[in-house]
Amino acid sequence: MRFLRSIAAPMIGLVAFGLAWEAVVRIFDIRRFVLLAPTAIVAEFLDAPSFYLENMLVTARHMVLGLTTSLAVAILVGAVMASSRFVEEAVQPVLILILVTPWVAYITSVVVWLGFGEQPILFMVAFTSFPVFAFGVVGGMKSADPAARELLASVSANRREVFWRLRLPAALPSIFTTARFALGLGLAAAYFAEGRALEITGLGAIGQRAALDQTTGAEVLWTTIVCAAVLGIAGLAAISVAERLLLRWHSSQRG
Amino acid sequence: MSAPIELHGVTKTFGALRALDPITLDVEAGEIVTLLGPSGCGKTTVLRLIAGLESPTAGSILVDGGTPDAARHAKRIGFVPQSPALLPWRTVEANARLLLDINRAASPTQPSASVDELLAEVGLDEFRDAYPHELSGGMQQRVGLVRAFALDAPILLMDEPFAALDELTRTDMRHLLGRLCEPLGTTIVYVTHSIAEAAFLSDRVAVMSSRPGRVAEAVTIPLGHPRAPELEDSEEFFHVETTLRAALRAGSDR
Repeated sequence: MRFLRSIAAPMIGLVAFGLAWEAVVRIFDIRRFVLLAPTAIVAEFLDAPSFYLENMLVTARHMVLGLTTSLAVAILVGAVMASSRFVEEAVQPVLILILVTPWVAYITSVVVWLGFGEQPILFMVAFTSFPVFAFGVVGGMKSADPAARELLASVSANRREVFWRLRLPAALPSIFTTARFALGLGLAAAYFAEGRALEITGLGAIGQRAALDQTTGAEVLWTTIVCAAVLGIAGLAAISVAERLLLRWHSSQRG
Repeated sequence: MSAPIELHGVTKTFGALRALDPITLDVEAGEIVTLLGPSGCGKTTVLRLIAGLESPTAGSILVDGGTPDAARHAKRIGFVPQSPALLPWRTVEANARLLLDINRAASPTQPSASVDELLAEVGLDEFRDAYPHELSGGMQQRVGLVRAFALDAPILLMDEPFAALDELTRTDMRHLLGRLCEPLGTTIVYVTHSIAEAAFLSDRVAVMSSRPGRVAEAVTIPLGHPRAPELEDSEEFFHVETTLRAALRAGSDR
């Protein structure tokens, strides 16, 4: 019963949203470029499914590569921050600076710096999500039980042991929480950067090219928007599955 | 041969706060010494100094013939913290093994009792694969005891391990710990504010008083070994408790 509801309720919610969207478009006769009806988007997708799937895959690749790089660096930096008060206080303002500076403003400079192609895209995905991951890692590692830290110290555990046995597992719950925000940031950065880096493939590349053509571009633009949303949902689902598997011990995964 | 633990004129100040007046205390091999005193008397600080988790402001500490740090590096100290400090992502068995897994080079090659045997001894063999959150407070602290005993260290340091437990569980745990300590000949320093625990477990009790902390009186416990739970109903046990209570009161009045 509960399982059925957990499937049916979100489905009903999405279908209702789609129906309302369709109705609004038809009733107010909204211009296709402003808002395209879901039925037209589905039709466009079914017209060239492999084209859209391939471009989704390209964007997914940018996201996964960018986000994993960002997470790996954040774990390294976060581990140092968590073990030194001085480093933490020194790095914090830099992270905040990266977090609050609108990345759309300096993306052109990044493209000039790294050249057209994949590099500026991966850089933007990693760079925008980095502060989020870093704050998550530091917070998580600092939440490690002080009594457990003393216990490890009582048998003279080295830094590596403290990191692998205590700090990293303790940081996992907050890493998973921040990963959801990082995913949203990374997806937006990937979509936008793909257009700016003049790539040929990728949802952002074809979507932003289509956006320039206000007479015939509406179908492609809106289909890439929906494909990007689907990609985001798939990413969130993957995070939830990984969380279920890795955090069985954590209170958030019980009850 | 010198005693396994020797403190000579050890003091500790935290900033402007004088936590400990000079403390001199020897613990003989195989002896169980309890530091008994009110909260804030510095008894935990003394334990942490012996464990090498804190350095003394003045005075010297010898543990196992060397510095506390050397004893720590050689894993000669089994530490039982106040909270069980179990790692929630490790099963009961993996938690019990934790200290063996760390700093492996110094782990005992032939421990006198295996983790499995110890878990069975404390009645947790059916919970080997359970996670800490599935256990009661008493069971969690039993894992904490096994984790320390599994090291097979010649010195055990226990910091109010049962302080957070309810009275009935505390009594059971006191008897369980007495049973675990009985055959080993391990040198133990036990910190508590429970008179019953001090009386039941110790060979000697250092009664401490506070602000700044000092050893007000050392009381030898004239009870033989082994000690069964029934001992606590005897007149001699009652007499020991009365003596300790009087020593505590005298310490705090001074």
